[in-house]
This record gives sequence, C-alpha cells and structure tokens, in this order.
Amino acid sequence: MSRTYDILGKVGNEQAFRQEMRDWLAEKAPKNWRQIWQNVRDSALKAEVVKWLTERRAVGLGTPHWPKEWGGPGLPFAYQIMVYEEFSRADAPELEMFGISLFHTPATLFEHGTQAQKDKYLTGITEGTDIWCQGFSEPGAGSDLASLRTSAVLQGDHYVINGQKIWSSGAYHADYCLLLARTDANVARKHDGISYFIMDMKTPGIEVRPINQITGEAHFAEIFMDDVKIPVANLIGAEGNGWNIAQSTLSTERGLLIFGEVERLARSFQLDGQDARDNWMRDVQFRREYAALYGELQSVRLMIKKLLIELEANPDKASPTLPTYIKVTWGPFLQRYTEFLLRAEGLQTQKWQPAIPGTSHSSRLRINDFLNSYGWTIAGGSNEIMRNIISERILGLPKG
Amino acid sequence: MSEQIDIGVLSESFNEFLSAEWPREKAVAYPRSNAPYAADLWSEISALGWPALSVSEAMGGLGMGTQATAALHEALGYAAAPLPLLGTMLAVALVEAAGSDVQKEVLLSGLADGSTRACVSQPPDTPLNVDGQTLNGTVANVLDAPSASILLLRADRAGHVVWLAIPADAQGVSIERALLADTTRSIGSVTLKNVSLDSVHILVPKNPIALENELLRLAAIALAADALGGGNAVLVATIEYLKVREQFGRVIGSFQALKHRVADHKAALEAARGLVEFAAGMEGGTPHALLAALTAKQHVTRIAAEVARDCIQLHGGVGFTSEYVPHIYLKRAKLNEALFGTRSVLLDRIADMLEAA
Ligand SMILES: Cc1cc2nc3c(=O)[nH]c(=O)nc-3n(C[C@H](O)[C@H](O)[C@H](O)COP(=O)(O)OP(=O)(O)OC[C@H]3O[C@@H](n4cnc5c(N)ncnc54)[C@H](O)[C@@H]3O)c2cc1C
Repeated sequence: MSRTYDILGKVGNEQAFRQEMRDWLAEKAPKNWRQIWQNVRDSALKAEVVKWLTERRAVGLGTPHWPKEWGGPGLPFAYQIMVYEEFSRADAPELEMFGISLFHTPATLFEHGTQAQKDKYLTGITEGTDIWCQGFSEPGAGSDLASLRTSAVLQGDHYVINGQKIWSSGAYHADYCLLLARTDANVARKHDGISYFIMDMKTPGIEVRPINQITGEAHFAEIFMDDVKIPVANLIGAEGNGWNIAQSTLSTERGLLIFGEVERLARSFQLDGQDARDNWMRDVQFRREYAALYGELQSVRLMIKKLLIELEANPDKASPTLPTYIKVTWGPFLQRYTEFLLRAEGLQTQKWQPAIPGTSHSSRLRINDFLNSYGWTIAGGSNEIMRNIISERILGLPKG
Repeated sequence: MSEQIDIGVLSESFNEFLSAEWPREKAVAYPRSNAPYAADLWSEISALGWPALSVSEAMGGLGMGTQATAALHEALGYAAAPLPLLGTMLAVALVEAAGSDVQKEVLLSGLADGSTRACVSQPPDTPLNVDGQTLNGTVANVLDAPSASILLLRADRAGHVVWLAIPADAQGVSIERALLADTTRSIGSVTLKNVSLDSVHILVPKNPIALENELLRLAAIALAADALGGGNAVLVATIEYLKVREQFGRVIGSFQALKHRVADHKAALEAARGLVEFAAGMEGGTPHALLAALTAKQHVTRIAAEVARDCIQLHGGVGFTSEYVPHIYLKRAKLNEALFGTRSVLLDRIADMLEAA
C-alpha cells in the first residue's frame, strides 16, 4: 500500500525525519539493483539511475545538499548528514554518472556563476537529467595542473578552443563539461592565464575517446577539441580567474562527497566483519587487524563530521587544512582496507566480475573495490601532492 | 646432462626469448583475447623444450632441478607470460614420483614435448572419493584446469590417498572456468559425472604426505620466483617512466619522495631474491627444504604485491589504465599471494615447523 511521504515536512524533529526516510526508502528504494545495475551500461544504466533520481525528486531529495534558491530542499547540515546516513544504511544506490552534476557543478556555479548560468544549468540538473564532466587534466598537466595548454582565444562573441583533455570521468556520456583552458600564455605565474568555461559537449569539433581502466570499465575518456566555439556567456567568473574557481570545484571532493562514500563504506565494513563470523573473524591476526582498521575508519568519519559542523557554523571560518587531512587519510585507508579483504578472503577474491555501478567504493566485489581505491589516491590531487601541501603550505617546510 | 647447463645461461635464454616473443605490447593487448593461455607461445616454448626441463633424463627430459625451474618461473613472471607451466611442472613431479612404469611412459612424453598440458589440484581441496568403477564429484579452483588436457586430482581410496590422471576430454568431465582478475592465468572447477575409472588412471604414491609436501614445495618455489620476476619487471617499467615523465618542469623521478620509495622497493626485491635462491638451491624431501620454500613463498609474493601496488600509484593516472603494464603485474602478484596457500596458512605451517625444530 503506497502512501505519500513528507520527509521535508519532518525537519525539526530528527527522529520523525529519519523514520519517514526509512519508511520511504523501504518502499521506494530500488530492489535488487545490484544485480540489475551490474548487467547494464550506458543508456540502459542511465535509465535505471534516472528512475531512482525521479523517486528521490518526488520527495524533494534529488539534490539533498542544495540550497532552496537553486532547487534544493535547503536542509540544515545536520539533516543533510542524516539523508546520506539513511541512504547508505538502506543500501540505496548512488546516482552513478551524476556525480559531477550533483557536486562539482553546483560547487562551482553557486559561488561563481552568473544568474543566467545558474538558471539554465542548475535547472538542467534539478529538473532535467544533464550529465556533466570535468575537463581539467591534460596529458602534460596532471599533478601540475596549472601548466595546462588547451587554448581559448577570444573571437568576437565566442572563444575558440583547441587542445586535449584526459582522464575526464563520464565524458563519453556528458552533456556539459567544466573546462579549464588558457586564455593567456604570457603570464608571469602560469596559474594566472587560466579561464573557466562551460562547454556544451555537442558542439562541433569535440571528439571523445574512452580510456580503458584497470577495473575493466571505461569511465574516463580523452576529449579532443579542434576549433570548438564556446559563447562568451559560458565563461565562468572573470577571464584569467579560472585557477581560483577550480579550487571551489575541487573543494567539493573533500566534503559531503567523501562523507557519502565513507558512510557507505562504514556500512559495508560492518557487514564484512559480520559475514566473516565463521571465517576470518575467527583468525586472531585478521580479527585484530579488522578491529584496528575500525579505529582508522572512525577517525576519518569523525574528521569529516567535524568539518561539516564547522562548515555549517560558518563556511568562511571552517578549517582550511582539515580537507587535506581528510583526503590524505581516506584514500590510503580505503586502499589498505580493500587490500586487507583480499588477504583475509584469499583466492576467492581473485575472481573477476563486472563492476556494480552505484556502489562507489563499496561494491563488495573485493578486487574491484581494491582497484578502484586508486581513484582516491591518484585523482583530484594524489597522495603525494596532498603530502606536499601539508609539508610545504601547512607546516612551512621549504619547497623542493 | 643437468650438470652441463649453467643456470645463469639458462635464465638468460628464457628472458631473451620472452622479451622478444612476449614484449610489453603483447602483455598489454593479451587480456582482450580472453583465452585461457597463449597457445602460439606455448607451441614455441614447447619446441624449445621448456616443459621438459624437469622431466628426468631417463624419460627423455633434461632432468633439471628447482634452480632451473625457479629460473624459468622468474622469467615467466618477468614477462607476465600466459603459459600454464606450473600445472605441467607439478604434474611431471607427481607422475615421476607416483606413476607406474606404464603411466610414466604414457604421460611423461606428452608433458615433456608440450603436446599435453596438465593441472594438479591444490590444497585445501576435498579429495574425490574412489570406490568402484565410476567417479563423481567436484574439485573447485584448480589452477590451469581450463587449458589442461590431463587433470591430476587427489582422491581417497579406502582411506589411502591416491592421485587420478583423467583426460580432460573423458566422458563425463566438465571444466567450468572462472574468470580471474589476473588474465595471464586461468582457474576452473572440475566436475566429474559418472566418469569411468580404469586402473591406468590411478597413481599410487608410496608416501602420499611426502609427495604432497614436495608438490607444495615446488609450487611455492615457482610462485616465489614468479613473484620476484614480476616485482622486478614492474619496478623496471616504473623507473623508466619516472625518468621520462615531467611535471612542474622536471622529471618526476627527481622528486625525492618518489626516489626513496623506488629505492626501498629495489632493496626489498634484492633481499627477496636471496630467499628464492636459497630455497631453490636445496634438495627436496627434508623439512628444511620445505621451510625454505614456504618462507620464500609467503615473503616474496607479499613483497612483490606491495611493490606492484605502489607502482600504479607512482605512475599516476596512466597507471590506472589498462594500456600500461603495472596493473598486469599487480593482478598477477595478487594471485601469486593467494595460490597454494595464503600467507596466513603458510605462516601457520612455518610457525609449526619452527616450533618443532
Ligand atoms: C579514477 C580517476 C578519475 C579521474 N577523473 C578525472 C576527471 O574527471 N577530470 C579530470 O580532469 N581529471 C581526472 N583524473 C585525473 C587526475 O586528477 C590526475 O590523474 C592526477 O591529477 C594526477 O596526474 P597525472 O595522472 O598526470 O600523474 P602525474 O602528475 O604524472 O603523477 C605521477 C606520479 O608522480 C607523483 N608526483 C607528481 N608531482 C609530484 C611532486 N611534486 N612531488 C612528489 N610526487 C609527485 C604523483 O603523485 C604520481 O605518483 C582522474 C584520475 C583517476 C585515476
């Protein structure tokens, strides 16, 4: 018997809010989605994800962390956290392929977009099914992102783009791209000549070529741009200010985005131990290792919660260093935990299965989760770059 | 004959051949074939006599010991070659130790010239039960089964361990391959349904426990050597990359944070080599030889897996693509850790031996 759910109406009463979410999830969260999603890709997968997105929208949770003025529910932080906790508790799937649309694009446009850009592109996410990708990295500019060379030349009412991007997650299916390109090559500091654009992926001159990954999937792709015209109206912020704006885009990777992932992992972590009750949990070495890993997991969760609380109290006063500590702790922890499971569960883990979309790093297909952990240790500022930031920018040690 | 062959020269010939016939481009392209083994490469190495390496001279082989087989497996690991030589080598040892003259005659010539490929069930399998003329049962997770033409399976006959040599194409035999992350090797479950059994199929070891220990020793040395080869290969590929990849206006190999890690890996692999050489240099049949082999297996496979894991990180984004080699070595290294006893299983056995000594 279906009933109507008023989750947002319960704000103010945490217990009622959670209960309403649980009831709704029990009825509406996709069933058997792991099996179904494991066997579909591309547009068939998008159709599955959109079904779930539509259910979420029906109760106002399409974009739970967005403010009211841009089509979100405007939930207080504590409630945003509850939403993500309840999603992972119910093992509801992630909105696979909408990651950049839900996090990176708003993080960029909320702060730096023009009114017209916000109206058009945020609506395409809250009401449409626009998929976004991020075109930052280039073959010659990875860790050293500021050395990027894709050029943008102003010609009348548009910029002409030439160059190549690489490792762009989801680019093959994307409608739009958050693009960094160089508008000025003659600057003293290479960071200064970079501008930030919205690129419509259907523009002539764009070619996207998927790259095969070690996981057997092809989530990221190369983007080749040959005289691609971008209207001036699609410049985000001022010309030459792209580097600073890109920091807003990247900051999202170290906040709520990690939170959702960590909560999901916390749930599978618990199941892993329980399912091993008659297995490796009876081995004193693995048992203790697992218990020690629990401590590490808790430390990550607590750091993130602290950051979220600080952000809620005053975004301008939140610790500028905590996100770096979170990233450099979370990525390596995830890799060690997923590797621990390979050792604890032995030969069985070496068998190959297609990945399960929507599970982020907690598909519980052991070897897939392990291989995917590099996403957090390499992408969006590698472990090594995070350590350089800590030692040089935070601790003041000399560069070198 | 065996005394006339210098191990160093042998090892060089393995590496030379594989670097010419199985270069990185082939290793990178191979996973797409989905094949259980590289059939063309198998024909070539068979013509060169590699499968005959450990077959006794009396049976037409080269009669070489574990130093030679370790050199071979190190080369296979270095190239990440998709060749089911471990199953075949274990089968040779098994037939040599437990086969009757007739069985040796029938089985060894095919194993030596590469026209037969074999697999041997690995512990902790549940032995099949032999009581009568037909055989039923399943043996899970047999390495090299999908490419094998002859299956060597452990069985129990009235309380005694025997080994069965069943042709893979015998009536009632089916082999279900399970895909592995490591596409350079294959594994399968063998199911037997009313397979008719003849006395020629049954090998009766004089000392079954000693035989099992010897098979474990041989597998452990081979896997440790394979891991050593793979660890060195992935490190070499990574060092090459660190020397050419530039970021921040300099080659990334000039960053001390990366240099030190590579230096640690090199030192760890050099230390690991000693364990392989020591184990491979011992005569089988003693507890010391088994201790050395298991010690090498648990340590070297672990070291190599950690080196390979870091090599992907050291490559950055390209390390996450299947177009570069590190993932091939990481997956092979991870399987080496899990085959023929995980590290925990081996550490327990090692501790038992140390305690008893
Ligand atoms: C799963 C995944 C998804 C991605 N998605 C996207 C995306 O959607 N959009 C996008 O634009 N990019 C994306 N990337 C790219 C990612 O941001 C880059 O891979 C990353 O910035 C590293 O750059 P690189 O690959 O060129 O490696 P390099 O910079 O060449 O690094 C190679 C190695 O050198 C180390 N290194 C580099 N500089 C230093 C230094 N100064 N000191 C010490 N060590 C150093 C690195 O840490 C690494 O170990 C993705 C990458 C991955 C793996």
